[in-house]
Amino acid sequence: MKYDLNISKDEHKQSDLFSSAKKMWPLLATEKKVIIIALLATIVHSLLSLAAPRLMAHTIDNYIAVGNFGGVLLFAGIILVLFLLGLAAQYAQIRIMGEVGQRVLFRMRNRIFNKLQELPVAFFNQNKAGDLISRINNDTEKINIFFSQALVQFVGSLFLMTGSAIFLISINARLGGATLAPAIILLVITLLLSPWVKKTNLRSAQTLGSLSSEVQESLNNFKVIIAFNRRDFFKARFQEVNKKNYVASIIAGIANNTFAPIYGLAASAGQLIVLIYGIFLIGNDLFTIGLLISFLMYVNNFYNPLRQLAALWASLQAALASWDRVYEIMNLESDLQILPDSANTEVGGLLVFKDVDFQYSESEKVLHKINLNFERGKTYALVGPTGGGKTTTASLMARLYNPTAGQIYFKGQDIRSLSHEERTNKIGFILQEPILFSGTLRENILYGNTALIKADKQKLEEIINRTGIDKIISRFDEGLDTPLLANGDAVSLGQKQLIAFIRAVLREPELLILDEATANIDTVTEKLLAEIISKLPSSTTKVIIAHRLNTIENADEIYFINAGEVLPAGSKEEALELLLKRNSQS
Amino acid sequence: MNEEENPKIKKPGLLSLLKPYRTLILLLIILALIANAFTLWLPLLLAQGIDGYYNGENLRQIYTRFAWASAGIFLFTYLQNIAQTYASEIVARDLRNRLSDKISNQSFASVQSITPAKLLTNLTADIDAIKNFVAFAVAQIVISLFLIVGGSYLLISIDWRLGLTVLSILPLIGLAFALIFGKVKTLFTKAREAIDWLNKVINESIIGAALIRVVNSHESEHNKFDDANTDAKNVGISILKLFAALIPIITFLAQFATLIILVLGGRFIIQGSLTLGEFASFNSYVAILIFPVLILGFISNIIAQAQASYERIVDVFTAPEPAGDGTITTPLNGSIQIENVDLLFGEKAALKNVSLKISPGTRVAIIGPTAAGKSQLLNLLVGLLPPTAGHIRYDHHDLSEYKKEELYKQVGLVFQDSIMFNVTLRENIAFNTEVREEDLQKAIRTAELSSYIARLPQGINTIVSERGQSLSGGQKQRIMLARALAINPKILLLDDFTARVDNHTEQKILKNIAENYPDLTLVSVTQKLAAVESYDQIIVLTEGEVIASGKHQELITTSPEYIQIFNSQQSTETL
Repeated sequence: MKYDLNISKDEHKQSDLFSSAKKMWPLLATEKKVIIIALLATIVHSLLSLAAPRLMAHTIDNYIAVGNFGGVLLFAGIILVLFLLGLAAQYAQIRIMGEVGQRVLFRMRNRIFNKLQELPVAFFNQNKAGDLISRINNDTEKINIFFSQALVQFVGSLFLMTGSAIFLISINARLGGATLAPAIILLVITLLLSPWVKKTNLRSAQTLGSLSSEVQESLNNFKVIIAFNRRDFFKARFQEVNKKNYVASIIAGIANNTFAPIYGLAASAGQLIVLIYGIFLIGNDLFTIGLLISFLMYVNNFYNPLRQLAALWASLQAALASWDRVYEIMNLESDLQILPDSANTEVGGLLVFKDVDFQYSESEKVLHKINLNFERGKTYALVGPTGGGKTTTASLMARLYNPTAGQIYFKGQDIRSLSHEERTNKIGFILQEPILFSGTLRENILYGNTALIKADKQKLEEIINRTGIDKIISRFDEGLDTPLLANGDAVSLGQKQLIAFIRAVLREPELLILDEATANIDTVTEKLLAEIISKLPSSTTKVIIAHRLNTIENADEIYFINAGEVLPAGSKEEALELLLKRNSQS
Repeated sequence: MNEEENPKIKKPGLLSLLKPYRTLILLLIILALIANAFTLWLPLLLAQGIDGYYNGENLRQIYTRFAWASAGIFLFTYLQNIAQTYASEIVARDLRNRLSDKISNQSFASVQSITPAKLLTNLTADIDAIKNFVAFAVAQIVISLFLIVGGSYLLISIDWRLGLTVLSILPLIGLAFALIFGKVKTLFTKAREAIDWLNKVINESIIGAALIRVVNSHESEHNKFDDANTDAKNVGISILKLFAALIPIITFLAQFATLIILVLGGRFIIQGSLTLGEFASFNSYVAILIFPVLILGFISNIIAQAQASYERIVDVFTAPEPAGDGTITTPLNGSIQIENVDLLFGEKAALKNVSLKISPGTRVAIIGPTAAGKSQLLNLLVGLLPPTAGHIRYDHHDLSEYKKEELYKQVGLVFQDSIMFNVTLRENIAFNTEVREEDLQKAIRTAELSSYIARLPQGINTIVSERGQSLSGGQKQRIMLARALAINPKILLLDDFTARVDNHTEQKILKNIAENYPDLTLVSVTQKLAAVESYDQIIVLTEGEVIASGKHQELITTSPEYIQIFNSQQSTETL
């Protein structure tokens, strides 16, 4: 039950380049062939770019130096052809690699989303919405920038560089070796600096995550901020996270910008070496001026992509830091796995709790050894003081969580062995906090109801009329087509509860759980809802959590839940008595 | 370049944003220019070296200069990078702070209408685009222009014929950029929209996580996501196709320039009007010249994105300031007059011609069916929403005449939905910082939270998790009540606060309020009649209209609606 992404971060060992790349590999695996083709195009393009200076040197030495302009034109023609071939190869390289990048990104987003869908409610309780949104938006964006812009250049630069190095050495091994010496120092510096650069980028991404959480929290709670005269609360907290982000970003920025000047220095050093050593070699008749000129071009061909790599390297470090943050989500496993079919047990009832214990992570036990038996077609009321464990009990019935100990059986089968589809179809749960999506009333009440969405309009109308839901729908201005906005105050809390109620009832579940689902609905409307419930099939089992007595009066059995324990209360009078006793104790 | 010269431009340009940072930006540009001046010097030194060798000169001095130039490039590039990091972050930080100041001064209604989600994008993605502009574009524009002008001058000064021929490539490169960027611009907007849509789907799936798991709507959520993701991929690939064409064409044009140098330069060497050293440096300068042209092309994209982002931010800045604060600071008596108040949401009327008089120290209940406008009326009373027509008055003075700060110290509102902050319980309850310790303790006692807090290991200093996940519905509502009571209000507004509190606790709390806050004017929106039968005034609100008001005894004989509600509750006592 530990889903808190920010707790594990201290223990989280910083992964190096190779292990990060390895984690990314599954996203790339299916692209093997395409990548090979792109690499071939890259090699062709690099070879062509490299051959040109060599041919130019040849032209200078053999034709310009001796005054043969015809030869110059001939070689210019050949080089032009090479350039045109290079154009085609570069197009293929960018196009193919770019598409690989887009597809990888597509798959990565897909995997994160599927993971989010798979993770249980506890994950969302333990992490801040703002931080999750930042991980999914800002961090995938950084990876996106790397994949869509940098990856192609990265591979291209790498090849151009390697090719140039080979040419440099093949023209003159000693001069080439000397020219490349600064690059070896660079390699060492790069390897030494990279972990630091990545760490600073990770820190910067984290501070952006907390900034995003802060905005998310404050703006969603804005009316309290205004009504309690605490505009300064938002201002002060925001300025604090903003300052943290500012400091972390400056450090990351400086870290990212360290590579470029060092690489530039190495490039200059390379040129100086060529000049001094080259002239020395020419002086000793070991080298020609034409070769020196082309050599200088190769030095540029080697160090320019290297300089680009410096910029890309920083972008890679930022992408890797973001990847680690995204991977933290991907790496979580839901503890709500479906167990293989369990043998039916002989425990009666539709839903049975057997010695169920429950605690939220690291807090005290919320439920102790609960035993409950809900029979088909009966109505149960769960009553008790606030904070006593009613909502937790209801959440366990819908398997929003697993019990920490003990079992819950649905129709004699361990609830953990039911597929999500089967379980949610048979168990309807109206949450305490109703959720609305922007869309029409129809879309909202059919949300997640695959059967009715597919069915024709008459089917829906038939159900609506049969159950009496039409009386509620007629209260909305435009009936089923009334547009609703998810945020904003135009839809009242009571209306949201009505929608959540219809949504659950339309699914016609075998077990219907109402967790204070009508708390903000007026009593006249509530009677309507009671009528609708009474029109559900007689086999429907109803579990109601409420404070109002009339809902409880119709209950076949009343359970009193307090301090994690359940007592059966024979009648509402007994429940009242229990509640009074509890109150006199506290 | 200077926006001031063009008063017609309504929206301030990006450059106006940089004005306060003039010195820093100037420093950045100077550092960049120095670094690049050194860069331009290098090929010159190379040429001098080669030519000097042929002329048998001593090259030691040139080597030394080369080394100094290299060191200069290193030092000034690094300084420039630090300066631009610093400049971009400081601009971003200040802009964020200004934006958050502006947002925090906005009214509730305008934050709701802009939507928190958009403000979040403004504060993150849009600011990032501007940060990119300052970090990568500002110095680069100046440098690129400098390099293009300087490089062109040097090319022409070495050999004007060759120079001009090579420079004729530049307009071609410009044309290629213009053509592609013309097309790519609309695609960038589409890409932004695609990402916005993607984010919306992801955000909904986070906020609606519990519902999705209860109704097993994973598949429909995934389909929504798949559509958005596919769309994002397709736009990405469309952009890619254009760039896959653009980059090779530009590369080819640059290569073509070196080919011109080979042919023409070769001819001039053969004719004896160009030296080999000049030829070598010519090649190097072309490389220097082409690069800034490419950079300018790509930067135009950063500028366009930053400009679009800045305009979105300026929209927030130019949002009208909430109506000026009032001046009345005298303590409230506790009387409220609501006169002919209308409240419209678009076409839809939430409240119609509502009038009420509430005397100091009285207890008033507002009842009525779901969506009758009860909560909206309370929102109007604290000024969260302005009435579309009519007046809200406290002690016969219009709400707008009061200094808000003073008013909020005297009017406490307990919202219907639980709103918790991720700070300690103490800070959540004493949310208004001027709360005195004794008032805090009294509020906690009144809300029946003492024993709950005493049971917590860290007591009142326990941190409440975001959205109060660790608290039950009833606990949250009692904390909300304590928060409103802690300011020791003259007027207390309760929005259905007892909905999730059990009956006995509720009775205790109401008794506590009566004892501890005897002079309080109480306005309570509620569903339960039993608790308010003894109130001084009961108002029946239906579809935004007051259809009856009076004491229980009067209403029970005169108002059919009241009787209907009363009958529906005959057995609706609560536990």
